[in-house]
Amino acid sequence: MVDVLTILVTGAMISSVYALIAIGFSLIYGVRGVINLSHGALIMIGAFGYLIINGVAPEWVAFIGAIAVAGLASLVLYLGLVRYTEHDVVITFLATVVVALIVQQLLTLQFSLAPRSLSPLVPGGIPVAGTRVRVYQIVAFVLSWVALGLLYLFVRRTKLGRSILATSMSEKGAKLNGVNVLYVNAATWLVAGAFAGFAGVFLGSLQSTSPTMWVNALGLAFIIVTIGGVGSIKGTIIAAYLIGFLETLTVSFVGAEWRGMFALLLLIGIIIARPQGLFGREFIE
Amino acid sequence: MSESVTAVEEESSENVLGRVFNAEANRYQMGFLAVAFLGLITVPMWNPGWTYVFAFANIWVIFAVSWDIISGHTNYISFGHSFLSGLAAYTTALLTFNVDPNMSIYITFPVSVAVAVVAGLAFALPSLRLSGPYFSLLTFVSVLIATKAVYIFSGYTNGEMGISTVSVLTFDNTEMFYLTLVPALLIAAILLYISRSNVGLVLKAIGQNERAVESAGLDTTRFKLWGFIYSAIPMGVGGALLAHFFGNVEPIAFLIVDRSIEMIAIAAVGGMGTILGPVGGAYLLIFLRDELFRAFLGPNARWVALWSVVLILLVTSPDGLFTRFWRLLDRLGGGGSE
Amino acid sequence: MVDNNRSGASSSDSSGRTGRVPRRRFLKATGAAAIATSVAGCTSSLGGGGGGGTIKLGHMAPVQLDMGKGSMRSARMMVDALNEEGGIMDREVELVEGDTQLSASQANQLVQQWVNQEGVSMISGTFASETMLGIEERVGNLNVPFIDTGAASPRITQDHVGEDYETYKNVFRCNPVNADFQADLLADYAAFLSDTHGWNSFAVVVEDAAWTQPFTDRTPGRMEDEHGLTVEMNRRISPDTTDFTPILDSVEETGAKAMLKAISHISGTGMLASWGDNEYPFAQEGVNVASMSPQYWSDTNGGCLYETTAESGAGGTAPVTEKTVPFTEDYIERFDSRPTLPMYMGFGTMDAGFIFKNAAEAAGTVDFENNIDDIVAEMEATDYTGTAGQVQFYGRDHDYPHDVKFGDDLVPFPVTQWQEEAENDMIEGDGAKVCVWPESFATGDHVPPQWMG
Repeated sequence: MVDVLTILVTGAMISSVYALIAIGFSLIYGVRGVINLSHGALIMIGAFGYLIINGVAPEWVAFIGAIAVAGLASLVLYLGLVRYTEHDVVITFLATVVVALIVQQLLTLQFSLAPRSLSPLVPGGIPVAGTRVRVYQIVAFVLSWVALGLLYLFVRRTKLGRSILATSMSEKGAKLNGVNVLYVNAATWLVAGAFAGFAGVFLGSLQSTSPTMWVNALGLAFIIVTIGGVGSIKGTIIAAYLIGFLETLTVSFVGAEWRGMFALLLLIGIIIARPQGLFGREFIE
Repeated sequence: MSESVTAVEEESSENVLGRVFNAEANRYQMGFLAVAFLGLITVPMWNPGWTYVFAFANIWVIFAVSWDIISGHTNYISFGHSFLSGLAAYTTALLTFNVDPNMSIYITFPVSVAVAVVAGLAFALPSLRLSGPYFSLLTFVSVLIATKAVYIFSGYTNGEMGISTVSVLTFDNTEMFYLTLVPALLIAAILLYISRSNVGLVLKAIGQNERAVESAGLDTTRFKLWGFIYSAIPMGVGGALLAHFFGNVEPIAFLIVDRSIEMIAIAAVGGMGTILGPVGGAYLLIFLRDELFRAFLGPNARWVALWSVVLILLVTSPDGLFTRFWRLLDRLGGGGSE
Repeated sequence: MVDNNRSGASSSDSSGRTGRVPRRRFLKATGAAAIATSVAGCTSSLGGGGGGGTIKLGHMAPVQLDMGKGSMRSARMMVDALNEEGGIMDREVELVEGDTQLSASQANQLVQQWVNQEGVSMISGTFASETMLGIEERVGNLNVPFIDTGAASPRITQDHVGEDYETYKNVFRCNPVNADFQADLLADYAAFLSDTHGWNSFAVVVEDAAWTQPFTDRTPGRMEDEHGLTVEMNRRISPDTTDFTPILDSVEETGAKAMLKAISHISGTGMLASWGDNEYPFAQEGVNVASMSPQYWSDTNGGCLYETTAESGAGGTAPVTEKTVPFTEDYIERFDSRPTLPMYMGFGTMDAGFIFKNAAEAAGTVDFENNIDDIVAEMEATDYTGTAGQVQFYGRDHDYPHDVKFGDDLVPFPVTQWQEEAENDMIEGDGAKVCVWPESFATGDHVPPQWMG
């Protein structure tokens, strides 16, 4: 039988990674109103970036490199493509998902579909509460909270961060106040991409890295952000933990195959009953 | 009621697309359609090597126009149309796999279509009330749920690897081509007629400005639901047809979100809201992917080429390739000054 | 949808000097390409290869995976080798390649096109049993000789050739030994582990797929009845499992000393990473298709150390026949990107070409539309020394007709283990594979995980 403690531990580990996966998506969606379906691909770029850099440098260098690469890719995606399509929701949907498909195919050509595991920053495992936890999972948990804390400080305390918030409320108003909207948008995409890269490194080593990993990551991000509420970082984090624990409970009490199903059903319920999510604003068209 | 419809008609006439298709087609346009049609029905004669690809594309024409009649017209972008066709295909498969492998196609086919329509309506009823991205999101999620259900109930569905007990219509390429061509053209013709009828005009008007249509006194929900039914029935037909085309049903070919995205891409590349555009789009993209790119780039790199082409077309030609071409012919014929 | 490109001059002269040029060029280019392809298409030969031209052999495999790529390269080597010996009936042999993408629908498309347009004389391949089962009806109805070189499900022979010989007589399997036999062999391997290390309790964990059913149904029974071992757990897990901690915890709880697994779609990288990092106190044994790849060591960052997998041809490390190692060495010399070994399927693919050649030449024809019975009769009489073993087929009246006969001196089912190093190290870079069973041609000893004490 399963221990309450085991569930708490396992759930917390999974949820911390989910929060990282969702936060970048949330920033773009909430701040810019843009649904970036390449988000999963950015996570994947982070994972593969780590893989490539780790081939020639130690793990911590690869870690920083992966975050930088993903952030940069996100920036390029915005400046090179989304900037021109973001007025049209449908075309942006399609364009970003097509970009993800192209990235998948390119990675497949280069790396084949064979899944790989990334070398962890810290190896080893610890028996805890009736299960075993890899040290790396604990690292992910700690770092995820550190990153979220930094994000909070950034958004509340720095000028750039506050500009991002202002632009998310009202683009016209922000412009009137002298905010350089293009600069702010680009910065948002850069930060979102960096978080995606961060998530990719952990997802890639705790699960596995392959050219098809972006689909599940995207689905997760979408579900979490919608449930948590568009435009609310707090909502995203809470939803991530909600989903993480829901999945852990499902696996323990129902069965592993059912794992994603309840999250999807919850999503449907939220969309129908309370489309703005638990903590979000109304979606402004 | 007729006053409101006239008002709606006038409003949508402002729309260039509406004008293009309400006006008489000029001789270049008619000529193009005639040549295309003749070329299409004689494919096995002038290039037998392409028969199979075009037969496959016939079924995708059905999917594309079915998507277009609802999403292309009303701009409620469905990311989950493969849910409908996949459901029909799986109904056929589940019946032959779990109930009776020799069950007659005259039973399984209508049942499959019916299941698709009913299930689709079950989704449409709550979700058509939602606006923009939430509708799309819900349709996206429906596909994820269906795919997950296939894996969970793998005792009945054989999970990822699919069911192979479905009877194949024919092993002969030419027969298959005509067997798929007839339904495709029939469905396209019917939906084109609907598109040009009052219902279609209202749907397009909803796509332009739903609130205006509502304030003109029309019940948009009712129209949207009808549009959905007009879409779901052929989706079911196409899904069951595809099942008998391959002889097997599996998530990767029928259900997963990638297939929905292809439907959208085809319609967008062809020209959303025009019915004929998606027809051309289907033949073009399937041909490129399964024949041209495959021959030159191999089975893997061709996807990069395909999606790159789609991306370029989406960004440079958001109204659709066919729409542009149609306008070009329009101008050649000296008509339609802006 | 607002049209943004309506601005500017609207006159379009026939040279297209407006902003529309790119579109025109695109359409023209497509038109030109279409014409070029149709010309090319018209010249491709039709019919069952009955004429005097080249003989086409089709090979289908999931090329995006190591397994399929290794097999496709082996197919190329096979065709080159055939041509070096004068081809088939003195006619040149050409390979037609196809990617199944692990999809029965894709494979059906390939079969249809190859038989109806390309005019192939024989098709080999498929890796996943479901792919093979998905196309078997079509293959049977089209009569084209088909040699399965990778799919293991017994239903391919037993339920098709066995139940309806007339329709399916053109189907043969030369590799691997079918899953029923594999299941029995795995039980025998467990007995070997028991003799070597004194392990008596095991857990059987397989992924939920068609080919693993015999492992669930037969292996535990045989282990207990024939060998007196204890099977603590017999479980099937979902192929899209991503978190393996629960199953690993469960195995640990039972006290089993080894986990016998059968996984193919599940890649095992995540599982082994957790297993090794956490040092779970049991060994990883069984069949892991991804582990057959020589790149698996680097894919798992060495996490596969101590894991064993059964694989035809023993990954080329052991001299199953006199052709096994030379073929492997030729492959390594010719291909230096992943996978750097032919994988288990490649051995079968290599053999399939020669099996067909011998049968066709003995029958004097490749025209299967008219002479399928002659070709089938000669194939049934096969007795060929291949790279995977000595190939013979069970006859029409056997339980598994047209299946490859198994045995230590026919086609065996060897087991290899990942170790730090080995004498004849075929693996590029770190890590090495050692053939640990059967003892008649093993190249090293089986080693338990160092932390098991």
